[in-house]
Amino acid sequence: MKVGLFIPCYINAVYPEVGVASYKLLKHVGVEVDYPIDQTCCGQPMANAGFEDEAARLALRMEEQFKNYDYVVGPSASCVAFVKENHPHILEKRDHACMNSKKIYDICEFLHDVVRPESLPAVFPHKVSIHNSCHGVRELHLSSPSERNIPYYSKLRDLLSLVKGIEVFEPKRVDECCGFGGMFAIEEPEVSTCMGQDKVRDHMSTGAEYITGADSSCLMHMEGVIKREKLPIKTIHIVQILAAGL
Amino acid sequence: MSTKHTIAAARFLKNKENEAWHDHTLWMVRTKRDKMSHSLPEWERLRELASEIKLYSNSHLDTLLEEFEKNAIANGAIVHWAKDAEEHNEIVLRILRQHEARNLIKSKSMLTEECHMNEFLMSKGIDVVESDLGERILQLMHLAPSHIVMPAIHIKREQISEMMEREMGTEKGNIDPTYLTHAARKNLREKFLHADVAMTGVNFAVASTGEIVVCTNEGNADMGTSFPKVHIATMGMEKIVPNLEALGVFTRLLARSGTGQPVTSYTSHYRRPPEGQEFHIIIVDNGRSDILAKPDHIRTLNCIRCGECMNTCPVYRRSGGYSYTYFIPGPIGINLGMLRNPEEYSDNVSACSLCLSCSNVCPVKIDLGEQIYRWRQDLDKIGKASKEKKVMSFGMKFLMERPGLFNTALKFAPVVNHLPRFMVYNGLNAWGKGRELPAFAKESFNDMWKKNKVR
Amino acid sequence: MSSRDSILASIRRHTGVRHEMPELTLEAITYADKLATFSEVLAGAGGKAIELRPGEDVNEVIRREFPEAKRIASNLKEITCATFNPDELTDPRELNGTDVSVVEGSFGVVENAAVWLPRQVRYKGLYFISNALVILLDKTQLVHTMNEAYRRTASMDYDYGVFMSGPSKTADIEQALVFGAHGPIQVVVLLK
Repeated sequence: MKVGLFIPCYINAVYPEVGVASYKLLKHVGVEVDYPIDQTCCGQPMANAGFEDEAARLALRMEEQFKNYDYVVGPSASCVAFVKENHPHILEKRDHACMNSKKIYDICEFLHDVVRPESLPAVFPHKVSIHNSCHGVRELHLSSPSERNIPYYSKLRDLLSLVKGIEVFEPKRVDECCGFGGMFAIEEPEVSTCMGQDKVRDHMSTGAEYITGADSSCLMHMEGVIKREKLPIKTIHIVQILAAGL
Repeated sequence: MSTKHTIAAARFLKNKENEAWHDHTLWMVRTKRDKMSHSLPEWERLRELASEIKLYSNSHLDTLLEEFEKNAIANGAIVHWAKDAEEHNEIVLRILRQHEARNLIKSKSMLTEECHMNEFLMSKGIDVVESDLGERILQLMHLAPSHIVMPAIHIKREQISEMMEREMGTEKGNIDPTYLTHAARKNLREKFLHADVAMTGVNFAVASTGEIVVCTNEGNADMGTSFPKVHIATMGMEKIVPNLEALGVFTRLLARSGTGQPVTSYTSHYRRPPEGQEFHIIIVDNGRSDILAKPDHIRTLNCIRCGECMNTCPVYRRSGGYSYTYFIPGPIGINLGMLRNPEEYSDNVSACSLCLSCSNVCPVKIDLGEQIYRWRQDLDKIGKASKEKKVMSFGMKFLMERPGLFNTALKFAPVVNHLPRFMVYNGLNAWGKGRELPAFAKESFNDMWKKNKVR
Repeated sequence: MSSRDSILASIRRHTGVRHEMPELTLEAITYADKLATFSEVLAGAGGKAIELRPGEDVNEVIRREFPEAKRIASNLKEITCATFNPDELTDPRELNGTDVSVVEGSFGVVENAAVWLPRQVRYKGLYFISNALVILLDKTQLVHTMNEAYRRTASMDYDYGVFMSGPSKTADIEQALVFGAHGPIQVVVLLK
């Protein structure tokens, strides 16, 4: 199986180490992985702001970049969800049948459902609180949404159980939004900030040293709050924990 | 790029204590709702059925309404049809005048809010008395509801105590909710006994039997209809359910979703008027039939007005009902406002982080968040898109479509990390209001890959 | 064109896909101990269930529960502690000031402790106006859910009926729960 690594724009620019950890992790579990060069953006920021059509060329570009891969795998649940849920109807308007939507996976989902590693060498002797991000939970089904009456599951927790020394917690409001929401964060700055502050405090109340999750965008938002208020908690993408020591 | 919602929300958030109380209290209702939904193994099946029944009934409104009308008339009710708010209000006034009524006691009805009925009737000299405690409090304070199920959720007990001292002569400074509620009970008892006409909303109208169903906790609808000779029930036409068996699905979901109770204290079925009394039913369109032609938004007609989308909405909880410009706030209100008049109510579309909690909590499975996303796509067409957002989106698109330019930008981006704070954190930077900006990496992933640093 | 016809025309013009009515198949919850669950849920709704002991007189229980009651209304023959028959009044307003009303319920619903009361008194106001309401209920008449309940009421004729679950309540002042917003402050279901 050939996997094309999908690195969204802000990971490319702000968190390249998340991309590196993703690559190492996929390599380690024995996947043939490559990075189609010069990736930019999936178009979600424009679409969520109300300019979905502006995402069409970016979607087409991604189709081209990943056409020779069996899977597209990326370390950002929200971007993956956007490709999966919205690229098809965006591309339909351009008379293109979307292929990526059928083969794209968030990296946690991919590891959990496709690769299914039984062990990882990772050691991370810390307390972490899982950030169940909205699109990870409610679009990619990485965990059971708190609103639904279905048995509890968490693909992130399952993966973290492979890490030695780790203690895993979840906040009280287990999957409430952190307030990022793309341009929502700047169009509604007061509400968004308040949501971010509440969310960070909920994570802190677990006693965790780190907030971890499958979405760098949410982590970036909470990191902004943490740094501004100099709070005693850090953020870390889940692949960086899973790839610890690789 | 502030919308009216943004500005009003910022105002709400200035009172941090109230905001935290509002958020916490509504989250508590959400928690109670979760407990209820988890007590039924068939919960998800009930949601599915409720949604499918609504899709059926809303795509058969013509036949179901005719069936309902036929049965209601056979039961002895008088059925009226109102195309719009104006006609609705005129019908009510006509009935009141026929009975030389001077006062009307009514239970909670979002439809009468939608029609601005109270103001209209009062301008015609009718004394309209709201009997739901929350609505009565707001009426005496001359305020509008801020939530469709908990209308006075934004009012503090001190304010209520002051108002009641003035209006009902309660003890000064007594803010005990039991004392205040029982004082209102005594005060409203007289209104119930001496009203000329009673009015109620309708939660469900059963086509196969011609009866209407009203759900309350206070018993105010039933108390209201127990003494006057005339009962007017007013319903949006989407309140129709095909039969009693289908009704069972909804009465199991409504209160569990809305307040976290297994059922409301009273689920009252009105079929035939008592001897010598009149029972009027008004079926109201007021734009609903137009929604039928909009497949993207048709599911909003599923709504049973439980209010849970407000309780779960992280934005609503932190911005309050008054931050929205439509009279129904929260996720369902954003959508209904856009359906009413997109030019007028587009300011509410910003009040959503697209977390999709509302879509998952909704007992009738309305795709609330997804519809808000779709409305955003329409804003530019109607000239209501934010200019700044447009500039940013087009700028991003320009950059992202040009990988060479993108890579160059990333090369220089770390410079921003070292700018003096006053240049970065000024009034222009909405992000910087409560958050530090992320620091750009020294090397982007694209660069690292090219330099073979990823292995 | 009348408003009725123009509304119906507008509906027909705008209706697109006509969805099928789903089959209402449902594996609904059942409760192992219906009586115990009913009582527990009723307590949660602010009401009180009392199971009559063998040989115990209903009137004794009512008197015991409401020793202060002066005006007790009932049209039921067995309620000898009633001080008046509400059906003999000529104006329902005269019901005001009733301390306790005693009525008969048709059946109870375990999942939500609601009791179905099809109107069996002259004035339905009786169900709401007294400070306390006592509902007599045959304890064998309990159904699990509302789905089952509506299958029962479907074959009944009534002009008015109410599923009543506990006393009247409100939380409109800062979400503080208060019983007796307008209707009964207390509801007792006497299970015979």
